[in-house]
This record gives sequence, structure tokens and C-alpha cells, in this order.
Amino acid sequence: MTVTPFTDTPIKVLEYDGTPGPDVDSLGLSKDEFLSIYRWLVYARAVDDRGYILVRQGRSGFYAQIAGQEASQIGSALPLERTDYLFGDHRSQGSMLVKGLRAAEWFAHQLGRMLDPSKGRLMPHGPGRKDLRIVPPSSTVGNQITEAVGTAMAQKIKKTKEMTICYFGDGATSEGDFHVGMNFAAVYGSPIILFCQNNQYAISVRLDEQTHTKTIAEKAKAYGMEGYLVDGNDVLAVYAVTKHCADKARRGDGPSLIEAYTYRYGPHSSADDDTRYRPKGELEMWRNERDPITRFRRFLEKRKLWDDAKEQKLQAECKAEVAAALEEAEKSPAPEPITVLDDAYEKLTPQLEWERKELAAELGIN
Amino acid sequence: MATAQAEKKQTTSTMVQAVRSALIDEMSRDEDVVLLGEDIGIRGGVFLVTEGLIDQFGKDRVIDTPLAELGIIGAAVGMSLYGLKPVAEIQFIDFLFPGFDMLVSEAAKMRYRSAGEFACPMVVRSPYGGGVRGGGYHSQSPEAYFVSTPGLKVVAPSNPYDAKGLLIASIRDPDPVVFMEPKKIYRAVKNEVPEGAYEVPLGKAAVTREGKHVSLISFGAMVHVGLEAAELVKKDGVEVEVIDLRTLQPYDMDAIAKTVAKTGHVVLLQEAPTIGGFMGEIAAHIAEHHIGYLEGPLVRVGGWDTPFPYALEKAYMPNAERVKRAIQKTLNY
Ligand SMILES: Cc1ncc(C[n+]2csc(CCOP(=O)(O)OP(=O)(O)O)c2C)c(N)n1
Repeated sequence: MTVTPFTDTPIKVLEYDGTPGPDVDSLGLSKDEFLSIYRWLVYARAVDDRGYILVRQGRSGFYAQIAGQEASQIGSALPLERTDYLFGDHRSQGSMLVKGLRAAEWFAHQLGRMLDPSKGRLMPHGPGRKDLRIVPPSSTVGNQITEAVGTAMAQKIKKTKEMTICYFGDGATSEGDFHVGMNFAAVYGSPIILFCQNNQYAISVRLDEQTHTKTIAEKAKAYGMEGYLVDGNDVLAVYAVTKHCADKARRGDGPSLIEAYTYRYGPHSSADDDTRYRPKGELEMWRNERDPITRFRRFLEKRKLWDDAKEQKLQAECKAEVAAALEEAEKSPAPEPITVLDDAYEKLTPQLEWERKELAAELGIN
Repeated sequence: MATAQAEKKQTTSTMVQAVRSALIDEMSRDEDVVLLGEDIGIRGGVFLVTEGLIDQFGKDRVIDTPLAELGIIGAAVGMSLYGLKPVAEIQFIDFLFPGFDMLVSEAAKMRYRSAGEFACPMVVRSPYGGGVRGGGYHSQSPEAYFVSTPGLKVVAPSNPYDAKGLLIASIRDPDPVVFMEPKKIYRAVKNEVPEGAYEVPLGKAAVTREGKHVSLISFGAMVHVGLEAAELVKKDGVEVEVIDLRTLQPYDMDAIAKTVAKTGHVVLLQEAPTIGGFMGEIAAHIAEHHIGYLEGPLVRVGGWDTPFPYALEKAYMPNAERVKRAIQKTLNY
């Protein structure tokens, strides 16, 4: 399909009721690939649901849900190669799972166990894994953007065929990092996709209070790159646009900004009460009429690829996988207290060696 | 008999030349070393440290960036994650603050937050300090911010020989290093600098002058003020031992222990405002671990606790007279 920048309405492939538009078959996706995409959507939601329950049970301290944004997360991560770099934010776990992070590792991250690739060092908003080229996000909104651009600059300098994707929210586009990152990316023609998940709120602040452009995508113009507005609840559209931009980056044709127009169902995080700022009926409208998973299932049903029996089977499978992942995470031990001193530097500094002796004595170890 | 080291050709160099020579040696040795910063390419940097390097190494390795320190440090973090060895230049360290967040939240914490999987081996070089009529925004000594950020290493050479060896060690270091270049002595201090690469190890202080009555601990341009003060009090028979820390994080605890045990009197000299300054850390360290050796108060000499003034920089910056009074204060206790 042709993917056009700077459209006024979001690029979409499927109608809200799942009716396919004319572009579906030009995507070159097989029946099995369609089914696999659907599985990812359902699986991501199952992981997400369980993650949120962990907080409600008081077993994890923080969680930012992705429910409602699965199509943005899955659709944008599927075109990535294993060697591509992924810089996420506090709401990127769906993309991380597609990139190869295991659900057991994600739950271990939430619980602060050794199986967490970050060994319990972070508030649970996303670990990293070097072999998967997932860089662990920090908590500071927007910081990943200039970093990701730096990695893309390095990919260009090293003349690899790899690229980088960087996720952030609509709120992050107000930070200086976004503007500086966009400028650097454009000036160097970096192989990067700057992927904004516009879920219409930054905590409680609505988009029209965040920025006075109509879209985020149009901001790309000011930096001299192409901006794409895509329906973030249409997994095929997100896939198509991201694939287009990834191919472009790999060809050496530079960066793109993608705005995935979507909606989050949950509160900003487990620490937020979203009933204070959402207008009545808004959430229900998105949930009932635009849900990304239902929308794609309707498409599969229209294609006779799906039915209730298959649905039940898949739901049960995902539930079981998630339960097994959580169990694996729970079996993983908490990090040893002495490890608190590791990894600030490659080797302990003399000062840290002193501190290690002190802590070891406190802990009664050597 | 001449050693291999002595046979290396020596040139009398300024610090600017020494830093450039370090960059050339490391860039020639390792093609992953790249430079980025404002005006560092065709212009060669505002202090001409990188003059000519773009011709030698090309614009993929000597990168003129847009005017955005946040972008320079942020991009350097991303490059280092990918396996390049970025050496970022910030025109004046006072302008590192727009990129401060990337340095302290990202470069410094990447290794820890990824439990050792990712790291940011990068160097941020920048001229710092006063004495060149630079006014409040071209003269600061902000080392305390960096020193108190675990994950960063902080280096400040006092002479060209050390500058070259420390910079090479910093580039080869696996952790992010803030490399502070005392601009007052960029061209004013010269010494013999060998051709070819050599390292001055991080974390090791130098005894710049031996003495037995008072230890004067300092770094960077202030080492020279300390040496001047040592000359002043020599007339009164006071022998000052001058310790040049060279690296502030980690700092050389052994060298401190040795000199304190030797003299029992300590003067701590920095250019930055005194409150919350790095020398407060050294004072606390000595008080905690070596109080038994002390025969007088630990005396700090620093800038006044104001922003850096333009017209009155002479009144502001520590000078040999002030250091001399501090020496007398601890001796006459
Ligand atoms: C620099 C910074 N300021 C404030 C915060 C607190 N904070 C965390 S997430 C967030 C909102 C982010 O909104 P957006 O970028 O739209 O992403 P979303 O959460 O909607 O996915 C805020 C204000 C922070 N983490 N970092």
C-alpha cells in the first residue's frame, strides 16, 4: 500500500468494525501472519491485565498499563529485526515482548527478582536486554529520544543496515529532548523512527492543553522530515506505516516521525485516578467501538479465519502461558543485598570497595 | 641507559596541544573514537583544540552538531551504547547544564539500571574555571555536581603531560568520564609531552612538590596557586607538600592518607564556591579516617559563595596570599 505523510485523518486499513479497506492484500501478509498478529494482541493484553493485578494485590509498586494501545505496540514492533535497537518509555512492554522480552522477565521486573534483566534496579516501567537490543528506559520523560538518535547516528557512521525505533508519548513531545532529537535526526539523516503513541493524555493533561498543533505528526515538517499520522488502534495500519518507515531508514533515506492516534483504557499508572479528568462516556466509546483487538478479530472473522471455538482456545492458552510466566518469575530469588554496590562502574572504585567491606560486615558475609 | 620511554620524542606543549595530540593518537588507534560538539569541525573548536582534525578524520568522526548540549550529550550516550567511543566537547562547562540531565540521568546510570548489560564509555571534555575574564557563565567550576553523581568519573588535569595521559586513559575507560580542562592554563603552562600514546591512570594523585609541614591538596589550575603559595611560605621555613588529585571521582585515598600522616596539617584548595564543594568531601574523608594525625584544623580555600563575577574575578578567585593565610591558620593552631 502507499503510505502518505502528513494526512489530515489517520491512515487506516480496517474500519472500526473490521471491514478491510482496499489495501489489506497489498500488505503481503499471509494467513498465518494474520493469526500470529492476533495472538500477539491477545497475549499482550493478558500480560497487561496480570501486571496490573500484581499492583492491586500489593505485590508490585507501580504499573503503567498498555490496554487500548496494543495495536500501536504490536504493529510497530513486528517490522523490527532482531538487530534493530528499541528505546522505550514507561509504557512499552507490548513492543518489548514482540522484540523478545519474555513475560517471565517482565513479571520478574515488576517483582524485583533476579530474572529481571535489570536485577530489580528500576521502578517497574521496563527493563533492558542487550542481546535483544532493548535499552532500559529511565523514568525521565523524553530522555530516550536524543539517546536513540545517537544510536541511529552511530548505525549510520558504522554503515550497518540496522535502524532504531524510539517510543514516547504525546506528553514527551513537549520536552526539549523531542525537539532536539528531531533536529539531530533530520540533520544527520539518521535511520530512526520516532514513534509517538498519542493516547491523548499525559497523566491528566489533554492533548489540546499539551500542544496547539492539530496533530503531532505535522511537527515533523518543521524539522525537515516526514510525519505520518496513523490509526493507532488499527494494527495493520500501524504495521504498514512502521514497515514503510523502517524500510526507508534501512535504505538510508533518513528518519520519520509516526504518530499513532490511540487511547489508553487504564489510569496513567497504578498511582493515578483517571475518573477525575476523563469526560463521561469517552472511555466507553473507545473501549466499545474502537478496541484494537476486537477490531482485528472482526476482520479475521470476516475472512473466515476465526470463530468462537478458536477464540476460547486462544484465551485459555494465553492465560496458561501468563500464569506459567508469573510462576517462573516468582520462583526467581530477590537480588542479594550486596549487589546494591555492583554496576555503578565496571569495577568497584576504591571508595566502593571500602563500602563493600562495610556492607559485607553488616550482612555477615565476605 | 636510555629507557624506551625516554627515547620517545618529547615536545614542549601547551595543554591545548596535548589534548589535541591525545585525540589524534586515540582516533588513529581506534576508529570507534568519534568527536562531536559545536564548532569542533571546520572552526576547530572555540579554543582550537580540535583544529585540523576534521581534515584528518572526516566529518563522520569529527561531527559538528547543532547548537544543543542536550543533543550532544544525548547523542553521545546513544553512540556509546552502540559501541562507538564518543568524545563530546562542550564549549564551556557552564553550558553543560542543558545536557546535564542526559549526563546524570542517562550516562551515569545506564550501567546500573541495566545491571551491567549496557554501559556508556564516553568522555565529555570541557574547559572550566575562571581567570580569563569570562564572566559568570564562562568561568564556573561545577565539579561537585558530577562528583556526587555515582556512575561518573571526573578528571581535571593541571598540566599538559597529565592532560594527554589522563585523556587517553579516560577515552579507554569503560565508564563515562567528565574531563575538565582548566582553561586558564590552556596555553599558560607548558611541559614536555611525549609523542605517541601513554596513559596517566585515573584515580592516582601526584605529589607535585614534597614537603613536611603542611599538605596542600588541590587539582586543575589551582595546583599552580598552591605551588605559588608554597614558594611564599618557604621564606618562613615552611615546607608545603602539594598534592594534585588529578582525578576527583574516584579520588586517591592512599595519597591522601600518606600526606596527612606525613604533615598533620591540611589545606584544601578549590576554585569553586566553598559550600557544598568537592573539598568538603576530602575534609570529611580526612576527618573520618585520619583525625589522629591532625595537628590543626582542616582549612578550606575556595571561591566565595556567590556566582562567579566578571569584573571582580581577581577578588573572587583563590590566590596565593589567601592560601598562605590558610597555611598559617592550620600551622598556628
Ligand atoms: C521529566 C519528567 N517530568 C515528569 C514526569 C512524571 N510523569 C511520568 S509519565 C508522565 C506523563 C507522560 O505522558 P505521555 O508522554 O503522554 O506518555 P503516556 O504516559 O501517556 O504514555 C509524567 C508527567 C517524569 N517522569 N519525567
